[in-house]
Order: sequence, then C-alpha cells, then structure tokens
Amino acid sequence: MEAALQRQAMTTAGDVSALLRRVAARDKAAFSALYDATSAKLYGVVVRILHRRDLADDVLQEVYIRIWERAVDYDAAKGSPIAWMATIARNRALDEVRRKNPVSLEDAPETLEVASDEPSPLDNLNQSQDMQRLARCLDGLEPDKRDMVVLAYRQGLSREELAERYGRPVPTIKTWLRRSLAQLRDCLGT
Amino acid sequence: MNDREDIDGLAAEYVLGTLDASERTAVAARRQREDDLDAAIAAWERRLSPLAEAVPPLEPPAGLFTSIEARLANANGQSTGPGQIVELQQRVRRWRNLAAAASAAAACLLVVIGVREMVRPQVPSSYVAVFQKDDVSPAFLLSVDLATRTLSIRTVAAERQPGKSYQLWIATEQSGGVPQSLGLIEDRSDITRTVLNAYDPAVVQKATFGVSLEPAGGSPTGRPTGPALHAKLIPAPK
Repeated sequence: MEAALQRQAMTTAGDVSALLRRVAARDKAAFSALYDATSAKLYGVVVRILHRRDLADDVLQEVYIRIWERAVDYDAAKGSPIAWMATIARNRALDEVRRKNPVSLEDAPETLEVASDEPSPLDNLNQSQDMQRLARCLDGLEPDKRDMVVLAYRQGLSREELAERYGRPVPTIKTWLRRSLAQLRDCLGT
Repeated sequence: MNDREDIDGLAAEYVLGTLDASERTAVAARRQREDDLDAAIAAWERRLSPLAEAVPPLEPPAGLFTSIEARLANANGQSTGPGQIVELQQRVRRWRNLAAAASAAAACLLVVIGVREMVRPQVPSSYVAVFQKDDVSPAFLLSVDLATRTLSIRTVAAERQPGKSYQLWIATEQSGGVPQSLGLIEDRSDITRTVLNAYDPAVVQKATFGVSLEPAGGSPTGRPTGPALHAKLIPAPK
C-alpha cells in the first residue's frame, strides 16, 4: 500500500530501505548512494514549491543533512522510505516558501521554468494503487476544489495565492480547503 | 467532536502546506507534545503522499552532494555526530532568520577549492570566503590573514544600490552566533582593515561571515536588517 512513491521513484525500492538503515548506522557510502537514488525525486518536489534554484539548492542540502541526522527515526511501519524523505523535503521547502520576504541581494533571482502542467498530474498512466484511489477521491471534488488541493500540495500555494488565483476571499478558500480535505478523508476511508 | 474536527483540519492544512508561517511553526511545536495532532498529521501525510509521486524528477546540480558532505564535515572537524549537525543547522538557521538564503553555488566553489586544499595538507594562515551572487559570479571576496588578523574585502559582481550600503558581519561562537559588525564595504575597491583583533584566530577560522544590504551608512540597529549573503572561511588556494 505504501509502495507508491517508492515504485515511482526507482526500481529498487527495497534498496532505499536498506540504504536508509545503513545511513542510520552512519554509513557515508550508503548516504552517497541514497543521494544518488533519491535526489532527483526530492529536488523535483522542492523546486516545484520554491520555484527558485538558489533556494532549492540550499534547501535540498538541508534536507539531506536532516535525513542523515534523522535516519534512525525512520519507521518502515509508517510508510515507504521515499515518502518519508519527501515529507522532510516538502516540510523544509514549505517552511522556506512561507517565510516572509524570501530575500536575495539581487532583485531578479534565477527563476526555474517549471512547466505549468498543473493540475493534470492525475492523468499519469503509471499510477500506483494509492494514487489511483486518491485520484478517484479527488475527482469526487468539484473541479476547482480538486485543482486547489493539488496546486497547494504540489506547488506550495498559500491560501492568499489561492484566493488571488480563484478570485475568492481568503476565509472562503480556507473553508473550501477544509471541506475538500474532510471529503477526501471520508472518501479514502483511512 | 468539534475539537476533533479542528485538529484534523489543522493537520490536513499543515500537510497540504496552506498554513502561514506562524501557523506552521505553531503546529510543528504543538505536535511534539500533542499525540493526537501528531497522529492526525501522520495520517494526512499518508493520505496525500501519492500526490508527490507524480512530481517529475529533476536532476539537482552536479556538486550538490559534495556541498552536503562539506556541511556535515564542517559541523565539527571530521566527525559528524547528530549533535554537531543540529548545531550546524542552528547556526545556519540563525543567519537565515536574520537575513537570507545564501547561494549553494558558493558552497560548491568552496568545496572545489577545499578539496584541492585537502590534498595538500598544511597549516595556512590565509583564508578566503566567497559570497556568491549567483551560480557564476561571486558578489564579494573576503580574504583573512589569521596571523596578522587583517581582512580585506573586494567587491566583485555586487552592484551598488542607491541609498544603500553593504555591511560586513562576523558571527562566532564567542558571540553566541550573534553577528557583529566589521564595518561597511564602501565602494568597489579593495578594503583592508585590522578589525579582528578582538577575536581569537581559532574562533575567526570557524566564524560565519555575512554581507548585508543596509540603509546608507550601515544598519541602524547594530544588527543586520537587510538581505544578506553568508560564507565561511576556507584555506586560500596557493
């Protein structure tokens, strides 16, 4: 059930678990191999949220430092290793993007071209079982609300940004999000 | 029932990412001591994590892992115990809270030079720190001579901002990580100063240096107030 991200990210999901265990034992070679196996996935996640290469590079470094530091805390019962790592990456990226006035000495930081294919990630042919189930439940939402949830999760949009995008007041957005999420939870039944 | 709903809604939005900075911080702190909130967050992470699966992978820039290794090693000597990493992160965070995200490219460059240095071990007294403007150009170059406790700073690609001054800072363990001013970087020329006399060379060697953009004449508060870059010293290449 939890193998979704794992399978998508690489063909050797079991290896990632094994690598993570070795990292927990302070094995530097395993840490390097773990980076090779997972960094493109996590960088994709981080860049989507931050949209800026300078911030994304820095955040990715901190994410792996955190992974090195916390590898002992990874509990296979709670999910796939890549999902655990992606959570660390998302949290770190979201903390960064929510920080007021992300600053740079220059006014025009390098902006990454992130394809504006959102929200259409649900058309992926090679969806895992978990993704298919989530996609069905997302499709049960009104289209705007489904898009809103996906945009927020994948591109890190804030309530304010969603409010602007959908031309609604922030409190309305909050109500919509909470209702949509509760509906998702009920649909997933987990 | 209402409480339950609130906690679950809060957890859901935390995982979705739509809480603002202060709400995120509050939830992150609360989950440490509230088991039901923590469990609700974990459940939402599981529910929504398939969404991350469809995110297309993107190769990070080459050399990033070397920077990560350098950060881990830098935490304290060659040992990389968890405590030292926590300490490193706290130091990094302190700087970020004050100001800005520094370019990872700087770290890459430092590592390239640093690795070259490691091949030829020595006890240098000349160090440099590179404040990176972007992937290709350094904004400022700082040279420090620990023997004479002099530093010189050169403006490279940083542009003069009308009505603003660049200010140089040092943050050391001695000052509890609180940045202390080393003066203004007045123009594009080389500036050499003896301002490190108050510092132990060993402390300076491990210090974090920062350049912040301040109102003309420097920070009015004695602490960095504007966006900043930061860098650490590495032995000067021969």
